[in-house]
Amino acid sequence: MNDSLLKRHITIYSEQLRSRRLWNIFIILIFAVSFFMSSSIIDFNLSQIIDGFPRLSDYIVKILPNLDINLILENSKTEGSIQYWYFNFKKYAALLYETFNMAVLATLMGFIFALILSFLSAKNITPNIYSYHLVKRILEFLRGVPEIIFAILFVWALGVGPLAGIIAITIHTTGALGKLFSEVHENADLKTCEAIRSHGGNWVSEMRYGIIPKVLPNIISYALLRFEINIRASTVIGFVGAGGIGQELYLVINFNYYEEVSAIILLIILTVITIDISSGRIRQKIIGEMGV
Amino acid sequence: MASLEINSLVKKFSETTAINDISIRILDGEMVGIIGKSGAGKSTLMRLINRLIEPTSGSIAYNGIEITSLKGKNLKQWRSKCAMIFQQFNLIDRLDVLTNVLSGTLGINFKLLKLLKIYSKKEKIEALTYLNNLDLSDKALQRVGTLSGGQQQRVAIARAMMQNPSILLADEPISSLDPKNSKVVMDDIKKINKQDGIMVICNLHSLEIAKEYCDRLIGLSDGKIVFDGHPSSLTKELAEQLYDLENE
Amino acid sequence: MSEKDIISLCPKAFYPLWKRSPIVFTGYILVIFYFLFCLYYFDFSLGKILSGLSNMKPILVAMFTWNDFFNWNFNSIFTGLAQTLGMAFLGTFLATLVCIPISFVASRQIFKFGLIRFLIKRFLDFIRGVDILIWAIIYVRAFGLGPFAGLLSIFTVDVGTLGKLFSEATDNADARQIEGMQSTGASKISVIRYGLIPQIFPIFISQSLYFFESNTRSAVILGVVGAGGIGLQLTERMKAQYWDQTLFIIILILIMVAIIDTASRIIRKNIIDE
Ligand SMILES: Nc1ncnc2c1ncn2[C@@H]1O[C@H](COP(=O)(O)OP(=O)(O)O)[C@@H](O)[C@H]1O
Ligand SMILES: [Mg+2]
Repeated sequence: MNDSLLKRHITIYSEQLRSRRLWNIFIILIFAVSFFMSSSIIDFNLSQIIDGFPRLSDYIVKILPNLDINLILENSKTEGSIQYWYFNFKKYAALLYETFNMAVLATLMGFIFALILSFLSAKNITPNIYSYHLVKRILEFLRGVPEIIFAILFVWALGVGPLAGIIAITIHTTGALGKLFSEVHENADLKTCEAIRSHGGNWVSEMRYGIIPKVLPNIISYALLRFEINIRASTVIGFVGAGGIGQELYLVINFNYYEEVSAIILLIILTVITIDISSGRIRQKIIGEMGV
Repeated sequence: MASLEINSLVKKFSETTAINDISIRILDGEMVGIIGKSGAGKSTLMRLINRLIEPTSGSIAYNGIEITSLKGKNLKQWRSKCAMIFQQFNLIDRLDVLTNVLSGTLGINFKLLKLLKIYSKKEKIEALTYLNNLDLSDKALQRVGTLSGGQQQRVAIARAMMQNPSILLADEPISSLDPKNSKVVMDDIKKINKQDGIMVICNLHSLEIAKEYCDRLIGLSDGKIVFDGHPSSLTKELAEQLYDLENE
Repeated sequence: MSEKDIISLCPKAFYPLWKRSPIVFTGYILVIFYFLFCLYYFDFSLGKILSGLSNMKPILVAMFTWNDFFNWNFNSIFTGLAQTLGMAFLGTFLATLVCIPISFVASRQIFKFGLIRFLIKRFLDFIRGVDILIWAIIYVRAFGLGPFAGLLSIFTVDVGTLGKLFSEATDNADARQIEGMQSTGASKISVIRYGLIPQIFPIFISQSLYFFESNTRSAVILGVVGAGGIGLQLTERMKAQYWDQTLFIIILILIMVAIIDTASRIIRKNIIDE
């Protein structure tokens, strides 16, 4: 190879490398600036961490149960036993059950509303362009506002209790699923719909036979995913008085019933993980083998 | 003369015995083709020589130095000395061709700056020269993922050459390539063998190509050597046995 | 041909619904019954809800009556927004830094100790099992009210999720590229730098951006339990029944989230195409 060509290649390579490096430095600078701005606005500094961590570990030690390996299986009167730690288990179980039902109901209702609205807000199948834009904006609003904010509002209106939470989660679910569903519809292919139209089928039959069979596995799998999210949501929506185990957790944290805090949190984790795993299994099954 | 000596080499996976008591001696400057149907143990043999995997028992020695017991730095040195190219190229798709070739120096000459993709001018010139020999210098700045299979395999050869190897291991280098590119790549490998005197061990699934390019063929079947000799001495029956399903 | 003969051609077609695909059918029935049961369990009546919602009317009216707009404390509102963004940014950023080494451990080809991998994965599961608001109250208890608690809760939850996603990305990385680098005799650090990072970095950045986006949403609600940011401003105004400012803040939140969404979508697209 002649030397000048080689040199030219190397110059080009070095230049390209240099410009890429400049670009990287620029990005790093942006990050650094954002980092320092963020740190100053939220008073983030090392001393806060250093001061705080002993307190955090103190707190964690306090909420952890005082289990004594020798007494662990004793009855609820003996300090150190699991039963002593979970003396309130019946109450927690009832509340967890309520929480679960809140999530189920909110997911199902949100699912129904979202499914109906999604046909209107999918560009390719909407019966009319105004309803498309209107519904789309509404869905955006519904999922844009966090459920806990809705919950605060509904606790005002409906009083303390699970109803406020259910409605809040339903509303948010409608927004979130509505968007996903209409995206699923938009990716569906419309040949079947055209065929049905050519047979003289109306819009509803087009949706039922042209769209639903194609999108159902996807939609159900999204709904299950949302159910997993809603289980989490309903464990905390009680913080504002909207029902479920969160209400109890908020109470024991504020009254410093230390050991009960860990008892409840552990139950929540177990519930959430169990439901995540089972729902994940079902989702995988559904994606494989569903025909309607 | 320097040589690679393999003695009673065995490699067992949980269920299969991929290499079953193999002994071979290969001299510097030889171009050896390893043939056999898929599952015969060809890739496993290559990986054992490069020490990407550990043998169950047996020995591999180069110039009298035992390879199978090398550790740490010496192991890395050995790997860079016996460069390897793969059926699927195994290049870094998202990086440009030149950087891929330059990455061949990481084993023999590591510098912290190389983690920032900074290489010396001398190395860059060397890399470009190899690329130029393989007719790829105009692609130097292109991302590897955008090249054709034949081009990628030649990039892999250039990377191997950057390692300044004594041995080139090629694991089915042409089985993802079309006939035209296959010829280009095999010619390049042959050139490396003839001009630089580098020992080449090449797994091939095509008997014709193996006969055309190699001075010596080793036939593997179920992890055992069933043939070792000049291509002309390979009988038709044996060839059919070696390839039965493959060529139907 | 008699009707019977015709039916015998394909008897299955005449099975009742529940016999045609019993599993799906039972599934539907169970769901419907559980749905009805839940309505009963919560004593869910439309009348109750409608009468409750009618209580909302004065609130809605108040939301849209902006009388003393110019006397509102905009300073605190915009500081709140900035805090929310800051929490989301720092939380995501620090979590990303922590999750990169975690993800290397998840790569089977690079890190050989299965037990450590298993323990880390279970730890991440545990972190993800606790909702961000629960972390937030715990941190508020330990560190006091304010955005620092919020930052820590975002960080914690992100370590759980990003740690998992990053690990999956490294675990699914193309093994051939790693093997190719190993075959050259490169050291572990070079193998990671060349064989792994070019593959996974674009994925990491795009996932972190995505989480920054969703963390701005989470950061909004952390104020509900006192962990600072715009959520704190919002809940304070709701408690004081300043419904006009409540709506104003909600609108600001929606705008902020929309801007971040769009920006992050554009950047992510460019990274993936790059
Ligand atoms: N990592 C591995 N784990 C288990 N078995 C393997 C592994 N690699 C190869 N084998 C087995 O070893 C045998 C030889 O494989 P290989 O060397 O890849 O054959 P070839 O390259 O000749 O097609 C095959 O039966 C294969 O299934
Ligand atoms: Mg093979």
